Amino acid sequence: MFRYYFLLGIRSLRRNPALTALMVLTLAVGVAASISTLTILHVMSGDPIPHKSNRLFTPVMDNGPLKGYTPDDKPNDTQMSYRDVMNHLPAKIGERRAAMYGILMAIEPARKDLPAIEPEGAAVTKDFFAMFDTPFLYGQGWTENDDAKAADVVVLGKKMADKLYGNTNPVGQYLTMIGHQFKIVGVLDTWEPSPRFYRNATFGVQEDFFIPLASAIRHEITHAGGMGCTGDTAPGWQGRLDSECTWLSFWFELKSESQRPELQSYLDNYASEQRKLGRYMRQAKNKLFNVMEWLEESKVVGNDNKLSAWLAFGFLLLCLVNTVGLLLAKFSVRASEVGVRRALGASRKEIFNQFLIESSVIGLAGGVAGLLLAFGALALIANQSKQLTVVAHMDWQMLSITFVMSVTAAILAGLFPTWRACQVTPAIQLKSQ
Amino acid sequence: MKLNLEIRPILSALLRSKTGAILVALQVAISLAILTNAVYIVQLRMEVVARPSGVAEENDLFSINISNRKVADHAEQIATQKQEEATIRGVSGVQGVTRVSQTPLSWSGSTTGVSLDRKQAATSANVSMYIASESVMKLWGLKLADGRDFNQGEFREIDTSTSKEFPNVVIITKALAEKLFPGQASVVGKTIYFGTGDDAYESRVIGVLERLQTHAAQIGAKGEISVVLPIRMSNDPYSKYSVRAEPGQRERVMKDVEMALRKASATPIIVNLRSFQEDRSRRYRADNGLAWMLIAVCVLLLLVTASGIVGISSLWVTQRRKHIGVRRALGARKIDVLRYFVTENFMITTFGIACGLALAIGLNQLLVSKLELTKLPAAYLLGGSVIFWILGIIAVVGPAARAASISPATATRST
Repeated sequence: MFRYYFLLGIRSLRRNPALTALMVLTLAVGVAASISTLTILHVMSGDPIPHKSNRLFTPVMDNGPLKGYTPDDKPNDTQMSYRDVMNHLPAKIGERRAAMYGILMAIEPARKDLPAIEPEGAAVTKDFFAMFDTPFLYGQGWTENDDAKAADVVVLGKKMADKLYGNTNPVGQYLTMIGHQFKIVGVLDTWEPSPRFYRNATFGVQEDFFIPLASAIRHEITHAGGMGCTGDTAPGWQGRLDSECTWLSFWFELKSESQRPELQSYLDNYASEQRKLGRYMRQAKNKLFNVMEWLEESKVVGNDNKLSAWLAFGFLLLCLVNTVGLLLAKFSVRASEVGVRRALGASRKEIFNQFLIESSVIGLAGGVAGLLLAFGALALIANQSKQLTVVAHMDWQMLSITFVMSVTAAILAGLFPTWRACQVTPAIQLKSQ
Repeated sequence: MKLNLEIRPILSALLRSKTGAILVALQVAISLAILTNAVYIVQLRMEVVARPSGVAEENDLFSINISNRKVADHAEQIATQKQEEATIRGVSGVQGVTRVSQTPLSWSGSTTGVSLDRKQAATSANVSMYIASESVMKLWGLKLADGRDFNQGEFREIDTSTSKEFPNVVIITKALAEKLFPGQASVVGKTIYFGTGDDAYESRVIGVLERLQTHAAQIGAKGEISVVLPIRMSNDPYSKYSVRAEPGQRERVMKDVEMALRKASATPIIVNLRSFQEDRSRRYRADNGLAWMLIAVCVLLLLVTASGIVGISSLWVTQRRKHIGVRRALGARKIDVLRYFVTENFMITTFGIACGLALAIGLNQLLVSKLELTKLPAAYLLGGSVIFWILGIIAVVGPAARAASISPATATRST
């Protein structure tokens, strides 16, 4: 019977074509709007490192001066000073520790056909690679010894390696960066955590290379990104290193989530020890964030995205109300048909099934059309900027949700009109014929 | 008079078959709630995008970033800067060039705290710092509200790797003047401090700019809190120049300048050029994107609501063929039937609008509390209501005309 009703449903699409087309279109637009905004929210609020996001922690501590401070003030910056980084790195807490900051470095390719470029990279400590599970295509990260010696070694991102060396393995070769020879020790495979959570969280941006933090400091390579300075700073590079200026990110990796209180007390102890040296005078709360908490804290999903999603759902609601009205119109002109069928012995349940399946057919049509529209909308959005390209992509999860949502919506919208259609009393209908 | 008489029978007819009416009213209510809020947000964003930067003839401006500087000593760095400026100036079609630390709306730059007194605990304002080696007032066509531009002797060359020197004169924007010295007629000659405490740098205000947006062009007064400092600095790995091209020549001049700079450098250099226009569109991309999305949503809302009204009205016309026929047979004119449907729809729409106004205010409250929006002005509610009244009438005219054209004979004879 299902198949028969389904075919009837398809056939009845042609009855009253204008009304039906309107319904399908309305449903499609509503579904497309909510799917495209939902996809963007879904991708934006995804977990960039699911298997260990609850074991990675970044601290936010307030090293600002006491002068002009009121206890409710937020810290000036969420980054860390070089002094603190150097103190935390050798600490015995947790399984791994990594410090990093963004840099721009001029690269002179060995190939003469390529111009000098200045890609974005990061100065990191050796545990960075193990901590964030970066996949290696060739070679590996550098050693502790390289960190200690501030060696000129470099790990290239896949895109950069492809650009400079094509498909060959460049490990062991030297690359001229800011006029110095950096030995290539590793090449990453495609690694695009979205968002790039470990530094300032952004979408669609990846580092092209990584060099040891110590090496970047030795070459006095300035940070690419924000810096927060409080208090007096001596001039020059050493002045910056000794200052309370914050410009580095720091992450701890713990063996398990349960070590969190241990890490918290480590930070609290650290702050009170530093207080003896005249630092951390604000006695503000030392905060700790795991990856997802950090993304929430840094407001990766902007208000505009939430606003769009809310509006899209309001719009979908309107489309549903509209569909209810149109279905009501479509079904109610068929009272006589129902009367005849009922008189011939069809039960209310049969009528109910038939009309509900008919609603589902409309829902299905709306779903297909909505999907196409959503693809179009996302392509349009992705066109706007590189950052949005990463965010606006449809995955299978969202695809199946589209169908389920659209058909469910149509069935829900069809419930009331169907119920109304079943209320037909055969006798009255037949008599009036 | 006649209209009044009709309301009562329409109302009782409506109350007997409520479903359709409720659906139409609900659609109007939801649409009105979303539309008013969406239009308000669009309006707010458009206002933000349309704010003037203070810079004249923006389209003729572009900026150049040069990096890949090997660390050299102060004198050598300053010499390179001047040489690069000369190279740029030598390109035909270049009207002016100045080394600057940042440009408006470019989203990249630095801020610092200023105060009125060394003893102050916290700084009074956070300002966007424009460090320029020559007059940006001429280059950018900024307007002075008070005071004067820097004179040639006030531009300093400072080696920031060893020196803590700072200029003792500064030009500030009107927005900053009002923030620091509210209600004062003139602030020229006043002293402000960069930072607080004993080592805060003292500077005298010599000029007040009508307007100069910050590098981030934040929303509200913050977006114009800027200062201009007359310094040429070394020990900066990046060189930024702002260039003005002759009107209409920018595209060509940009290409020529890039070529000239590459040719003039002994070693390969990394040059990035970007027009002011690009900075502006990048700054407001998100705002424009949201605004266009909302406009699209509004148009769709109106279409969907109109289609709902057409659908339900058509249904009623079909259902009431017989009644209409009887009424017509009893002497009702076509215009009476038409008016019946229009009045009926007007009543439903009005009910929907009333609910929609409450919903719109509720939605606005939600947005205010969750998404940092401001309160919806009453004009939007009024405008929205008028739009839906008109929309309702337009949507119902078709079906109503069809109802009116039903002839009494055929309607009463069949079915």
